[in-house]
Amino acid sequence: MARVQLKHVTKRYDDQGDVVTAVDDMNLDIAHGEFICFVGPSGCGKSTTMETIAGLTIPTEGEIYIGDREVTNLPPKDRGIAMVFQNIALFPHMDVYDNISFGLRLRDYPQDEIDRRVERAADIVQLEGMLNRMPEEMSGGQRQRVAIARAIVREPDVFLMDEPLANLDAKLKVHMRTELQRLHKELDTTIIYVTHDQEEAMTLSDRIAVLDSGQLQQIDPPLTCYNEPDNLFVAGFIGSPSMNFVEGTVTETAIETPNFSLEFNPSSVDDVSAGDEVTLGIRPEDIYPGELRDEVPDPSGQIAATTDILEPMGDEIFAYLLLGDGETSMSQELATNDQLLMSIDPDSDLEEDEEIEVVIDRRNVHLFDSATGEAIVHDLIPYETDSSASGSEVESDD
Amino acid sequence: MATPTEQLDDSEGGPLERWTKRAIKDPQRVYRALFYVAMAFFVVTTLFPFYWLLVLAVTPRQNLLSGSFLPEIDLFGAGMTFPLPVPRKGFAPGSFITIFEQIPFHLFVLNSFVLAITTTIIVLFVASLSGYVFGRLDFPGRALLMLGILAVSYFPPAAFLIPLFEAFAGNEPIVIPFTQIPLFTAPRLLNTPGSMVIPFSGLFLPLAVFILTTFYAQIPDGLEDAARVEGTTRLGALFRVIMPLSAPGVATAAVLTFISVYNEYFFSSLMALSPSAENWSPLVGGILSYQTQYTTQFNLMAAASVVGVLPVVILVVVAQERIVSGLTSGALKE
Amino acid sequence: MSTDTAERTRESRRSGMLIAAVRWMENLSETWYAYLLLTPIFIILGVVALYPLLRTFELSLYAVSTDLTSLNFVGLENYIELFTGGKDRYLPGSNTFLPTTLSMPAIVSSALAVTIVFAVVSVFFETLIGLGQALVLDQDFYGRRWIRAAIIIPWAVPVVIQGIIFYLMFNSNIGFATPPLADLGLLASTNTLNDPLSALFIILVADIWKTSAFMALLILAGLQSIDRSLYNVAKVAGASKWQQFKHITFPLILPTVAVAVLFRMVGAMKVYGIIDTVSSCAVLPSLSCMVVSTFNTRVGTSASIAFVTAAIIGIIVMIVIVWQGEDAI
Repeated sequence: MARVQLKHVTKRYDDQGDVVTAVDDMNLDIAHGEFICFVGPSGCGKSTTMETIAGLTIPTEGEIYIGDREVTNLPPKDRGIAMVFQNIALFPHMDVYDNISFGLRLRDYPQDEIDRRVERAADIVQLEGMLNRMPEEMSGGQRQRVAIARAIVREPDVFLMDEPLANLDAKLKVHMRTELQRLHKELDTTIIYVTHDQEEAMTLSDRIAVLDSGQLQQIDPPLTCYNEPDNLFVAGFIGSPSMNFVEGTVTETAIETPNFSLEFNPSSVDDVSAGDEVTLGIRPEDIYPGELRDEVPDPSGQIAATTDILEPMGDEIFAYLLLGDGETSMSQELATNDQLLMSIDPDSDLEEDEEIEVVIDRRNVHLFDSATGEAIVHDLIPYETDSSASGSEVESDD
Repeated sequence: MATPTEQLDDSEGGPLERWTKRAIKDPQRVYRALFYVAMAFFVVTTLFPFYWLLVLAVTPRQNLLSGSFLPEIDLFGAGMTFPLPVPRKGFAPGSFITIFEQIPFHLFVLNSFVLAITTTIIVLFVASLSGYVFGRLDFPGRALLMLGILAVSYFPPAAFLIPLFEAFAGNEPIVIPFTQIPLFTAPRLLNTPGSMVIPFSGLFLPLAVFILTTFYAQIPDGLEDAARVEGTTRLGALFRVIMPLSAPGVATAAVLTFISVYNEYFFSSLMALSPSAENWSPLVGGILSYQTQYTTQFNLMAAASVVGVLPVVILVVVAQERIVSGLTSGALKE
Repeated sequence: MSTDTAERTRESRRSGMLIAAVRWMENLSETWYAYLLLTPIFIILGVVALYPLLRTFELSLYAVSTDLTSLNFVGLENYIELFTGGKDRYLPGSNTFLPTTLSMPAIVSSALAVTIVFAVVSVFFETLIGLGQALVLDQDFYGRRWIRAAIIIPWAVPVVIQGIIFYLMFNSNIGFATPPLADLGLLASTNTLNDPLSALFIILVADIWKTSAFMALLILAGLQSIDRSLYNVAKVAGASKWQQFKHITFPLILPTVAVAVLFRMVGAMKVYGIIDTVSSCAVLPSLSCMVVSTFNTRVGTSASIAFVTAAIIGIIVMIVIVWQGEDAI
């Protein structure tokens, strides 16, 4: 049984005198058979973390366990792992058969066993009849299958995949994604998968580990990461398009932002009191045009806005809204304050540069501590709240 | 030469005058002509010495000294000496057999091959390790160590001769310089391959290191990682994946090392105390035997030189691309 | 798991020691692993270069008897005598290549003079001819491969055969090349190979013949790295072939050529084999010649000359490296 555990794993590099911490006190416990994705922007430490599991990098501190064995200092070959690389990394001087059987031949498996396993692996990734080809004669998708077959034949305890789909075109990527899920079902092994693409992570994994600056931000099932992000980073990273962030101040009755205020009772939530600086997180699909107010379970007051750019995506339209006097602040901060992104129905007859009113679904407004970035609450109005609470609501647009 | 229409235009004047006129109109012709002249000049000057060797080698010995190789020619009534030698004194290719009878010349050539191949194997192995380190690993002191290796290749062998000769003589124990502390007495290596292979390995390592560093650095990291995850050690990845993938680079280093050893003069002439094949004297000894013992048998000297040069000529023709890439990629590290 | 069983059977075939050694190596940090893999090269270079250099310097501080049995520490006396003429009688050749009025010691007036003149003149002509050859090889023409092979061949000719070739060309018995050149006053007409200036001329020709191709290859690499579109720009601007060469080709290859020239010069200062085969060390005593001629009889003297040679070359290499910085590598 291949449970994978990381305990206080830290990796520091010495970069010409400067100490760079690539992985900072990483603690993970991955269950057997789990499909787990490491996701984060480039340089967040996800690849380094995977390399420490693979044994390609030895951590500066901490321990790594695969199954019940400590493997922290074992070389890659003794860890019972197989790996698929971003650049595919097929040996260009070997044909498909030799590539797939490389690891087995190194371990002196009997020839009939090698043949049997290669055949089975080729069968799983649908490479029958191509075993004598050279890598340069194959398409990108076929090469990727060879790389996966090379990992499968080893019957490893843990599969490591480092952005295996990154170099494929969009259509092939979606196709390979389903293949990977099928593979996971078929093989019943632990898969650790690194990607910078949160959508890939959402669709593939049992749990997502979100990393930033070498630190684990959150590890949870995809929907939990989406619905209950632990902090501003996870909230901003998971979900496409990104969550809107608006800075505000808590008062006795509301949260005041530069352009609107949301009615809110600080006493309904622990750890919040009047005067706190907070950041509101609002997903684009939780903003509605004013005329749909009645359909919103827990609507805010009307907020005046001007449409800026509309991006029709087919199944929805992304509408960029300008708040207040309509000046766009091109700030590089996470919070935009004067701009909101709204996702609306494709049939909407909204036009660019139109003055409209929008409402926000207060049930799905996330509240973060501006200073620490930690999540305070994920619904301004708790779902359990009875209707009397919403009755006390006042129109708050100005 | 000229087309009829041009002849009409330039009908007056001799051929040279006509060519000049056209050349002035079209300077490309001049460049083209210059180019062919230059090319012919370079080819003739590089190949002529070999022609001279062949002429001498097939000239019967008794005719070598009689008369000149330069024929008198009658040029418009004025007699003059043709400046280039021609084979005009008979044809006796037997010298190509005689050279193996007078002394065991084939054994000298064989010695050179054995020394060159042994050195090449040692150099490839050691330079592969170093090329891997310099090309793929990052560690403190990298630049400085490379500089040190580079520097070695520029010192003249004469600067290393005395202590090496003293050590290979095996009479006195080797002492740590400036201390009188004896370390050990080396076995007597003079007149054995060791006395040449050891200095050759040192002298020709730097070039191989630089060539292999360049080639090994180009192999993507992913392939090495893949090999290690598949079950090789770090060294295994070098010899199973990186080296085979750098085959052209390894071939380049091998060819250049082989040629360098085969061509070496300094240690080759000094470490075998007498020019005899039993003492592992290489090609140098064989050729010099003809120069010093058979001082007037110029045809034999020439024939021996032709035989001795043949292996490298074949190597240059076959491995031309590798030599060019090695000399240019290893740039100045001769 | 089947992986484990196969693993175990394989491992059982190996000795435990080997496994331990492999594991120890695999666990070394990158830095220590690098140093470990460099051990062989440093052992070889230590034996072949570092130890000999130090030992040479040590020996140069002693007056050593011929049989090496008695050592007598004399400090820098060997060097002092070398440069004040006290050693001249042990050195080969009595030819001075500098005006006698300068009254220089033999190491300067013959060894250094021969070595430096040889290096400077040979590299000068090698660069010129190499440039010509490179310009020819840079063109596209049918049979380019064969012409290139023909031009490279001299570079691959063993020194001893190169020597024999020129020995046979200029030898006074059968050498056909001597009379015409003697008529021009370039060579002595009799005993040519034992006449210092004639011998110098001949080894220069021999070296230029052999080494021009090497320069040609380096310059060719420089030429081929020039962006071809620059020539189109120049053509559009109306530049002639000569102007293209002067304004584009030459300035762009100059840095490559400059470094090549300096390093080739250092290489040329090792000259020994060609002198030994064509003429003799007594006629043209280069620095290396002097070391070889004395090392069997006057070890201290020989060592001091060897160390002077190493020092001169070391200084030049250092200057180039400092000047070129990391690019030199």
